[in-house]
Amino acid sequence: MSIPNRTFFYIIPLPLIIMSLFIGPSDVITSQDILAWMQNKIIQAPSLNQDKLEMVEAIVFNVRLPRVILAFLIGSALTVSGNSFQALFRNPLVSPDILGLSAGAAFGAALALVFHILPLQLTAFVFGLLAVGLSYFLALTRKGVSTVSLILAGIIVSGIFTALLTVVQFLTDPFKLQTIVHWTMGNLHNASWSKVKSSVLPILLGIIWLFIIRWRMNVIALGDEETRAVGLNPEQEKIMILLPATLIASASVAVAGVIGMVGLAFPHMVRMMTGPDNRKTQPVSIAFGGSFLLLVDDFCRTITSFEIPIGIFTTLIGGPFFVYLLKKSRMVFRES
Amino acid sequence: MNKKIKSGIIFFLIMATNLSLSYSPVLASGKNDVPITVTDFRGKTLTFSKPAQRIVCLIESALSGIYMLGAEKQVVGISANIYQGNVYPYYAAMDQRIKNKTVPAPGNWDFVNIESVIALKPDVVIIWSKQTESIAALEERGLHVFGVFIEKKEDVYREIIELGKLTGKSQRAQELVEYTKKEIERFNKRVKAIPEEKRQRIYYMWAQGNLETSCGRSTVQDLIHLAGGKNVCGLIDNEHMVVNMEQIMAWNPDVIVMWYNEKKNPSDIINDEHWKLIRAVKERRVHEFPEIFLCDLWTLKFTYAVKMVAKWTYPELFRDIDLEREKKTMLRMLYGKKTGN
Amino acid sequence: MGISVKDLSFSYGTTMVLHNIELNAAEGKFTVLLGKNGSGKSTLLKLMAGLLPCKTGDINIMGKDIRHLSISERAKVIGYLPQFHTAAFPFTVEEVVLTGRASYVFAVPGKKDMDITNEAINKVGISHLRQRPYTELSGGERQLVMIARVLAQEPQVILLDEPLSHLDLSNQIRFLALIKELIMSGLTVVAVLHDPNIAFMYADDFMLIKDGTIRILSGDERPWDASILTDLYGVHLETMPFRERALVIPG
Repeated sequence: MSIPNRTFFYIIPLPLIIMSLFIGPSDVITSQDILAWMQNKIIQAPSLNQDKLEMVEAIVFNVRLPRVILAFLIGSALTVSGNSFQALFRNPLVSPDILGLSAGAAFGAALALVFHILPLQLTAFVFGLLAVGLSYFLALTRKGVSTVSLILAGIIVSGIFTALLTVVQFLTDPFKLQTIVHWTMGNLHNASWSKVKSSVLPILLGIIWLFIIRWRMNVIALGDEETRAVGLNPEQEKIMILLPATLIASASVAVAGVIGMVGLAFPHMVRMMTGPDNRKTQPVSIAFGGSFLLLVDDFCRTITSFEIPIGIFTTLIGGPFFVYLLKKSRMVFRES
Repeated sequence: MNKKIKSGIIFFLIMATNLSLSYSPVLASGKNDVPITVTDFRGKTLTFSKPAQRIVCLIESALSGIYMLGAEKQVVGISANIYQGNVYPYYAAMDQRIKNKTVPAPGNWDFVNIESVIALKPDVVIIWSKQTESIAALEERGLHVFGVFIEKKEDVYREIIELGKLTGKSQRAQELVEYTKKEIERFNKRVKAIPEEKRQRIYYMWAQGNLETSCGRSTVQDLIHLAGGKNVCGLIDNEHMVVNMEQIMAWNPDVIVMWYNEKKNPSDIINDEHWKLIRAVKERRVHEFPEIFLCDLWTLKFTYAVKMVAKWTYPELFRDIDLEREKKTMLRMLYGKKTGN
Repeated sequence: MGISVKDLSFSYGTTMVLHNIELNAAEGKFTVLLGKNGSGKSTLLKLMAGLLPCKTGDINIMGKDIRHLSISERAKVIGYLPQFHTAAFPFTVEEVVLTGRASYVFAVPGKKDMDITNEAINKVGISHLRQRPYTELSGGERQLVMIARVLAQEPQVILLDEPLSHLDLSNQIRFLALIKELIMSGLTVVAVLHDPNIAFMYADDFMLIKDGTIRILSGDERPWDASILTDLYGVHLETMPFRERALVIPG
């Protein structure tokens, strides 16, 4: 299998986004209708009757477009975040899910939905950060942080926050379990412009920041002492990665729940194509992560007339992938 | 941890001895009566020597059936959900014991405290037939379990008949079913005349989310059908599911029926940008059911739901129907004088 | 100028590692620290590199107090080669060497940084490894990559912690020749070396460290005296004269 050229991934998002607007679960509007609507928008030529026009606009603009944007944003965010965490921890086996961040952010978001005074994005961010911090300090020994202990600590922290999420749901939500499944399996079917508005700013800011400092991650990836020796303060640099990476992952969780395994599997796929140099992985993560999640979601929303949480698909794809990585990198386990 | 397990085992041993002691006299004394045989929704046949005197009922809808049968005195344990939420006032009005919260609640539709159930020494435990683990745990300890699962209106009738046998109120059960069938027929007769192409298309919305609905294999399907409408997703052979907004636009229902929702009212849907193109929203035909107790689809009270949907869907056809009066009559017929209001 | 250390003491927690160190490494010279394992050589080197905080005493590098330099200013003056090194990702040799430019780069390195990187790679003689993954290299090759990285930093002073430990003989000789070359171009080099023979053959000055203190030599003592070395390493050593200095052999 030949690996596509990098430029392929920079070109693909736009046509993919446009294509995604043309597909849906129903045949209530056809491609011709959409083209006619676009024609109407651009050259103001009335080519459809008013009712049809409104319908096309409602479906394309109010249903499909926010979902397509959200899928792309979240795909980019989770991939960039996963890639950044892997550089930060110098560990190709970590991700927002594995570090407990996703569970923490989901708990924070659920809390914010219950107590309306708490701002959604901020609360998700704070608990996401808290979860990563907890995982890190639980795993920290005098000898540093080993892969195994970090993954174990992440499992514990995830478990705690998932349990807390369940408590919140039990105390407040009459439909309890269904809602928990929605949080833990992630979904995009509730995508709306308000969700896009709530998450677009933190995600874009975080991604831009992580894109700017992409090369510094190469430096960080070589070790604390080496980083210091070449003139960067590793603690400071790590915070500069940690904060935006947490921000974009928790912003994603706050609007779509935990879309599992994206943050782990996608950065690996990117590195398989580009190699580890973050000057290449970050931009490709943005383009590829967004495109791939969008593709999975297109599949998700067209395969049946009912909704299957997208997290089920990503976890089913990513789970075996993680096992494969674990097997392949048993070196990491031994060495640490 | 270990200590807990140990004390648990000791407790169960004690309980087991208690049970075997308490069961033998019951079995012995039952020789004179005609044995009662009921079949639950798993297809399992249960045989009793006499009507169950100690019933633990962990399903609210089944409990309401027991109250309709007038067998509430035979209930010794109920679902914890009875004490929470909006059904409590109704039960409190019907039963002093519930009002004073003296009936133990050893579980709910989802969770069963096996130990507490055993401690109540029940003749039978009524729970959902899908709670297989709890059922196995209870049956392992020699308890009778009556599993319930409701998918269509016939299941509701069947449940009442079987509960009637179980409680020794078979005659009352027959009366209740007769009455309900008659009421359904009274409404269904009118809608039968509506030609297929004029049938209104209905989207049913659960309270969990705007996009959550029930499809072809559900009591909702029956409800809509009996009211003369067509469930927009009736062709999908599912119970519960989440649909796509776009799909709803494609279905473009004439009427939207909302299950009782604490967080949302029809006005929220009418004012929602996403829904504005749906015919039902344009024509302001979005309706919400009142409290669950009054129209629970898993009880005989679904007749009231049918009546409401029928009137909302065909206001002209049911112009003469006063829903308020229908409700009062129904409650009186089903519960007797127990519910004051 | 060069490096001057005054009255430096250091402890890890309550364990004193260095006591009142006084040391001068002359500018443009190759100075070697000799001593047993655990004598405090590596700690002293890290202190001079600014990787450990200097709390008691003074360290001046090229006339500047190390505490007054920011991390990035310091990296432009001092290059440090660590003893051990691993990488979690298979970066290419070029990418690893390029990280030496960190203190000069804000976001992404530019053409000038690439040029300096390539120059450093050529100087160390590993241009054939340029596109190879760092993780697949031998220990010796990695050592050469890391020295290239230090050179890409364009420092005035280079501190090497046992730079020869993973190198085979030919690479050791090439490496030492490279150090000579750097000295000739005006750099100051301080290294921790295991092998006193190599030190005596190549270095200009010697600092003997025992139990965290500098062994001061009196007027007629020389670092290659058998008695001094026997005391320093704690094993019986003999010497034989060689090119004005001496060769050390086990006694």
